[in-house]
Amino acid sequence: MLYLLLIFFPVTMAASTFILRRNSGLVLAAALGTVLTQMLLAVQIPLDDPVRFLGITLILTALNQVFLFVFLAIGAFAFVAAWNLPHGANFVPVALLTLGQVCTILLLQDPFITTLLLALSGLTVVLAIVDLPVGVSALVGTRAIAAALKYLVLMVVAMMLMYIAFVLTDIFRPGEFLDRVSPARFILALLTVSFALRLAIVPFHTWLTDLVDYAEPLVAAFIITLLNTTSLVVLILVFQNFPVLLFESVEILWLMRLGALISVVATGLLVIAPATLRRTVAYLVLYNCGMVFYGLVALSPVGLAGAIFGALNQTLAVMLLFVSLALLERPDGRAPGVVRRDLLRRWPVAGAGLLVSCLALLGLPPLNGALSHMLIYQAAAAHGWIELLALVLGTCLAGLGLARMATERLLGPSEDMEVAEPLLLGETELDRPAVRKLAPEPRSTAILTIMLLLLCLGIGIYPQPILATIDQAIQNLAFIRVL
Amino acid sequence: MAINWFLLVLGISAAIMLLFRDWRVTMPALLVNYLALALFLAEQQFITPDLNLFGFMVSTLVVVKLLTGIAVTLILALTALTFSREYGLESLDEFGLSELRRAARAAQRQQTTQPFRWGDYVLPFWAGVLALLASLSLPRIYPIAPSEASDFAWYWLGLTGILTIATASDLLKIGLGLLLCASAIDLVYTAVVSTPGGSGLNVMPLGLLSVFNILLALAIAYLSGLLYGRLKTLELGELYRR
Repeated sequence: MLYLLLIFFPVTMAASTFILRRNSGLVLAAALGTVLTQMLLAVQIPLDDPVRFLGITLILTALNQVFLFVFLAIGAFAFVAAWNLPHGANFVPVALLTLGQVCTILLLQDPFITTLLLALSGLTVVLAIVDLPVGVSALVGTRAIAAALKYLVLMVVAMMLMYIAFVLTDIFRPGEFLDRVSPARFILALLTVSFALRLAIVPFHTWLTDLVDYAEPLVAAFIITLLNTTSLVVLILVFQNFPVLLFESVEILWLMRLGALISVVATGLLVIAPATLRRTVAYLVLYNCGMVFYGLVALSPVGLAGAIFGALNQTLAVMLLFVSLALLERPDGRAPGVVRRDLLRRWPVAGAGLLVSCLALLGLPPLNGALSHMLIYQAAAAHGWIELLALVLGTCLAGLGLARMATERLLGPSEDMEVAEPLLLGETELDRPAVRKLAPEPRSTAILTIMLLLLCLGIGIYPQPILATIDQAIQNLAFIRVL
Repeated sequence: MAINWFLLVLGISAAIMLLFRDWRVTMPALLVNYLALALFLAEQQFITPDLNLFGFMVSTLVVVKLLTGIAVTLILALTALTFSREYGLESLDEFGLSELRRAARAAQRQQTTQPFRWGDYVLPFWAGVLALLASLSLPRIYPIAPSEASDFAWYWLGLTGILTIATASDLLKIGLGLLLCASAIDLVYTAVVSTPGGSGLNVMPLGLLSVFNILLALAIAYLSGLLYGRLKTLELGELYRR
C-alpha cells in the first residue's frame, strides 16, 4: 500500500493541481504538502523488502532511499522558490507528475519499465519547457519551442537505444559468440550513448545548453536535478543487473573514461569562452556532469562513491544555482536592457548563491563538491597520471571561466552611485525627484537561498554521514566488488 | 517464395511516411502502418491468441496495439485538422497580435513562393533506398528476432523512423519519425522477449509502450499546435530563423 501511495499520490495531486492551476498560491501549498507527505511515506517503507505487484518487483534499496529523499527535498525547495520566481501555469502539475515517475523508477528493478518511465518523464517535462505563466499576454518564444523539440527528440532516441540494448541483453548468453565480437560490447555501446544523451555528456549535450538558455530557470533546475540524476541511478542499476556486460568489455572500458575526460576538458574550454550568464552556467553544469560520469565509469569503489556523492551534491548545487539565477534575472528597478556588472552588490544573497553554487560545482573546499571531486581525482589517479591531469585541467579551465563570469557580471562596482549635485539657482530640495529605492530580494526566496547555501557548506564541512551511507550502499553492489 | 502481404503493407506505409510531406498523405499511411503491424504480429503468433473476434482468434495485446495506433493517428489527425483555429487571442497584447499577423504574412508569402519541387523528394528517396538495403542485409548479418521477416520489419521501421527525423523539414514529420522508431522497438521487444529463450512477455512494459506512444503523439500534437499558432507554419527552418 505504501508503495502504491508513493507512486500514485503525487500523480493524483498533479491532476488536482492542474485543475486548480490558476490559483497559484493554493496549488503551491498543496504541492508542498504532497512532497512532505511523500517524505513521511518514504520513511515508513522498509529497506530491501521486495513486494510483488502486477508481476513487477518493487523494492527500496538504501542507495535509492537517499536519492528519494534528496529528490523530494529538491521538489520542496522548488515549490518554495516558485512563490516568488517566474514559472509556467503547469509547472506544479508537471513537477508533481515527474516526482511520481521518479519515485516509481527508484522503486523498480525491471529495465524495460524503467526505460519507459524515464522516457515518459522526458515527455512530461516538455510541457513545462514551453509553458507560460497564467494570464500572461506574451507569445511563447520560438527558441523555447525549439529547445523543447530538441529535448523531446533526443530523449526518445535515448530511450530507443536503451530499449534495444535491454532487448539484446534478454537473448544474450555469455560465451555463445566466441567466433565473433562479443555482443556485450555492442550492448554497452548502445547503453553508453543512450545514457550520455540523458546525462548531457559532450557531444550529446546541446539539449542542456538550449534548455538553460530558453526555459525558465526553475524548469531547467528540475530537469537537471531530477531526471539527470535519476538516469545516473538507473545506469548504476544496469551495471548491477548486467555485470557481464562490463566483464566481457574490460579491454574497452577505457573508451568510456576517454569520453568522460573529453567531456570535462571540452566543457572547461567552453566555460572560458565569452558567453551569456545562462550559457556559462550551463557549461559549468556540463563540466560537473562530465566529472560525475567519469567517476561512474572509472568502475572502482572510490570512483563510484565520488560519482554518487557528486550526483547528490550536484542536485543541491544546481538547485541553488538556478534559484539564484532566477533571482538575479528579476526586474531590479533599474533601466532594462543593460548588461549589469554589479549583480553581487545589487542582489547580495542571490549573487552569493550563484558564486557558491558554481564553486561547489567546481569542487572547491570547503563546499559540498570538494570531497566528491577528491574521490574522483583519486579514482583517476589509479588509472594513470594522464587521466588525473586531464580532469585537473578541465577543472582549472572551468575555474578560469568562472573567474571571468564573476568579474564581468558579479563583482563590478555599484552602478547606483548617485553623485550629489549642487542645487541650481532657485531650486530647493523639494523640487528634486525622490531618491530611488530599489526593492530588496524577496524574503522567502532569499531565506531558501541561504538555506541551500548553508546546506552546501554544511555537507562540505561534515560529509561523513552521507559518505558512510554511500559506502554501505556500494558494498552491496556486486559488480564493483568483482571488478 | 510466399509474399508476406502484411510485411509489404508495413514497408510501403513506412516508406510513404519517409517520402511525403503532406499530412493528408502521411496520416492515413500512419494508420495503415499500425494496422499492418498489428496484423503482422497476429500472423507471427508471438503472443498466444486469447480473443475470438468475428471468428478470428487474436491476442488481446494485439488489439490493444491496434487501438493505440488508432488513438495516435486520431490525435495527430485532429491536431492537423484544427490548425487553422485560433486559440487564446483574447489574452494577447497588441505586440503579440502584430507578431502573429507578421508571422501569418510571412507564412503566406513562403507558401506562394515555394511551389512543388521534385528536389525536395530526392534526399528522402535515396535515404529510403539506403534504409531498404540496410534492412535487407542486417537480418542476415545481425539477426535478433526469431524470424527474418520480423528482423526486416523492425530494422525497416527503425531505419525509416530515424531517416524520417533526419530528413524532416517540419515538426509533424519529426513526430512521425519518432512514432516509427517507437513501433520498431515495440515490435522487436514483442518478437524477442516472447521467444522460448527470452524472459517472457510482461503486460506492464507492453501497456507502458502503448501509453508512451499516446503521450508521444500528444506531445507532438501540442508542440505542433504551439508552433503553428506562433508562426502559422510547421517548417523547422522558420523555427530556427527567428
